Amino acid sequence: MTALLIAVLGFFLVAGLYLATVTARRLAAPEDYLDGGRSLPGWCFAFAGTGILIAGLGLYDHYLLLALFGLQYSHVALGLILAALAGAILQKRLWLAARISGRKTLGDLLGAYYGSPALRVLLVILLLLFTLPFAAQSLSRLGLVVETASAGALPRTAVIWVMAVFLFLGGVIGGWRALLYVVAGQSLLLLTLIGLTAGVGAVALDWTAIIGGQLEAGPGVLAYEIPGVVQDSAGLGKEAAVGGIWTTTAILSAALGLVGLVISPAFVFLVLTTAKGRGFAVQQVWMTSGLGVGALLLLTPLIAAGLGLAAPEALAGGLVSYAAVFQQFIALDLIYAVGFALMLVVALQIPVALFTQAGASLLVIELFGRFVLPGLRDGERRFAARVALAAIYLLVALLASFAPLWSEIVGAMTLSLSLQFLPAILGLCWLRWISRAAVLTGLIFGFLLVLFTEPLGLVLFEALFVELPWGRWPLTIHSAAWGLVFNLAACLLVSIFTLRADDRAERERLHALFARDYAQRQISPALRTAIWSLVLIWAFFAFGPGAILGNSFFSEPVFAGTALTLALPSLWIWQIVFWFLGVFLVWWLAYQARLSILEEPAAETLPLGPRERGFAEAAPGFFTRILERVAKR
Amino acid sequence: MREQDEVYRWLDRHALVLAFWLPLGFLALALFLNGYRLTSDWLVGGAFAALLAAFVSHIIVNAVYQTFFSSRELALGLVLYLAGLLLFLFALLFGADKTQALFGSIGIGFLVLAVAVIFYLVTHLGVRRAFEAFDVISDFRRRRDERDQPS
Repeated sequence: MTALLIAVLGFFLVAGLYLATVTARRLAAPEDYLDGGRSLPGWCFAFAGTGILIAGLGLYDHYLLLALFGLQYSHVALGLILAALAGAILQKRLWLAARISGRKTLGDLLGAYYGSPALRVLLVILLLLFTLPFAAQSLSRLGLVVETASAGALPRTAVIWVMAVFLFLGGVIGGWRALLYVVAGQSLLLLTLIGLTAGVGAVALDWTAIIGGQLEAGPGVLAYEIPGVVQDSAGLGKEAAVGGIWTTTAILSAALGLVGLVISPAFVFLVLTTAKGRGFAVQQVWMTSGLGVGALLLLTPLIAAGLGLAAPEALAGGLVSYAAVFQQFIALDLIYAVGFALMLVVALQIPVALFTQAGASLLVIELFGRFVLPGLRDGERRFAARVALAAIYLLVALLASFAPLWSEIVGAMTLSLSLQFLPAILGLCWLRWISRAAVLTGLIFGFLLVLFTEPLGLVLFEALFVELPWGRWPLTIHSAAWGLVFNLAACLLVSIFTLRADDRAERERLHALFARDYAQRQISPALRTAIWSLVLIWAFFAFGPGAILGNSFFSEPVFAGTALTLALPSLWIWQIVFWFLGVFLVWWLAYQARLSILEEPAAETLPLGPRERGFAEAAPGFFTRILERVAKR
Repeated sequence: MREQDEVYRWLDRHALVLAFWLPLGFLALALFLNGYRLTSDWLVGGAFAALLAAFVSHIIVNAVYQTFFSSRELALGLVLYLAGLLLFLFALLFGADKTQALFGSIGIGFLVLAVAVIFYLVTHLGVRRAFEAFDVISDFRRRRDERDQPS
């Protein structure tokens, strides 16, 4: 097993290096290294974006949680459609704003639009959180997977460093464009391997127990039901939720966390470096909502069932791991065991490669190029990015090797923190009345709430001061939603008082340009209302409170008065139905409303940020009035 | 600028071709190895279906980028195909029982791949140009003549 695993992993790593080398040889311009010439092909975005979202969902955890919580957790996969919807609403406007203003990164855009260096700094901090702990967490798990697959022959730490070196080599040679090629290829590999593993398991290892309703889950967990809309639970670590933690509120709030990935600095950098075309629409509709969610909803429950079936005693004790499944695959055929390991490795490798490379590019563009060494030439910027990449990989590998728990704790907050920038991005794209003060106030509240509903804040506060009455995710609400609710409330409240703030005129210029040159295709107000009403209704029933109906909607129809025996559990059918409806809705928004079709930006450019004000605007009002009266005389 | 766009196009196409071949190639390998071990015609057939899917994807990429197979791709494809065919024949000749048991599925697989390639070449290029695409000797002479011509 070990030799074959090394051979296959080595082959794919060498293929990645080959692609990086070819790209580097062909692309001579230094700036291409940082941003790929801002012309990544649409297919690259479509494939890579899907892989990043599936990997961001945490495929490694996804199987384990599915095995422990059954179909109630599987519902979270529908959250990828919410992420796709968020992409449809935001990505095109972000792309347009960047192209017409000449800005290159999310921090650059938001900082200029709101005229706020604080936003830039906060985004750089978030970026470091993505690149360091989040990537370290993935790299650490990757080492663990290979160690488990090789039955300890390949130690975790050695795997971490070897992988880090290979990934670094690929990144340092090829840059952003080559990395995205590799990630796009890996995404297809990931989808293929999910299909292969589930298919082989279902046919050869009888993983279809879940279909017949014989799936065992963790102790006290309802494997085929969502355990309520919300539960009066103090949170993880303080009080166990009855029947499982994945209530409809938990599902919805966890899905919001996935939106945080779509608006993270690295993902937005990918958006901004994509060429015009239909790449966004293909990613949102067919690849993510269609293929990605389909694979997660239909195939991963089978694989998770396999984890439980391979070690029923461990599952009954509330523990589950990959070791027993590897043994089953090895007994079946070595190549399948390698395929299973490769699937997990790829899912863990994608975030490491993406966030480190984006981290290096963004650090140079945001930090070094702007504040530290603004006079750098293109070649020097490329060199700086390579040095930054080396430093990032070194730190990530060190964290993954020697502080995996710390990486898990901090990395767990990353998506929730990223989501707190949603009001700021909504303001840039659509809501002109959201002001800088509102955004910053909301961010402070949002960050605090996330911090105190995740282990980092709880552990620190309880160690330093007093015991808190709540644990992680109180009331079965994910930290992303806790932060966002308070963030939005603060943001709206402050916006009311800053409607007529001085800087509004600056922000209006961009929105006026959007309205004049980039208005959406003319659709009647009635149809527009219908679209958004349908989206809300869909969200309510897909993973809002209405999803609770799915527990028995098909097995115990309301008017039939009798229980039916179905081929699939009722909740699974519900998920599949709302998956289809979700794909249709995203298609409607992305293609029909043209929210995700990128066209050539108009020739007019608009420098964002405070423009030079003339004397008449800058001088105090009383002074100009006096001057006018004097001048008239 | 146009030159740079051409470089991007070449790279994009090359990466897309690899993105299709690597996963489908691994899938074909896994199915073939397991099918051979279990002497299963279905699994071996699945492996050839995966290869066929990769080939069709390659054709779609060619259509999207309005290109044809590069000479390296042609050479690699031919070498791998012939190597596979030779292995198959040697295994048959030297009496590997499993290969004889799987003669039908493997033979049909090779045949289907060959038919698919010929069908594509003929429909895409026409019969005469399809033959010319493999006429290495003429191609070599033409290049030599071009090289020897006084500039």
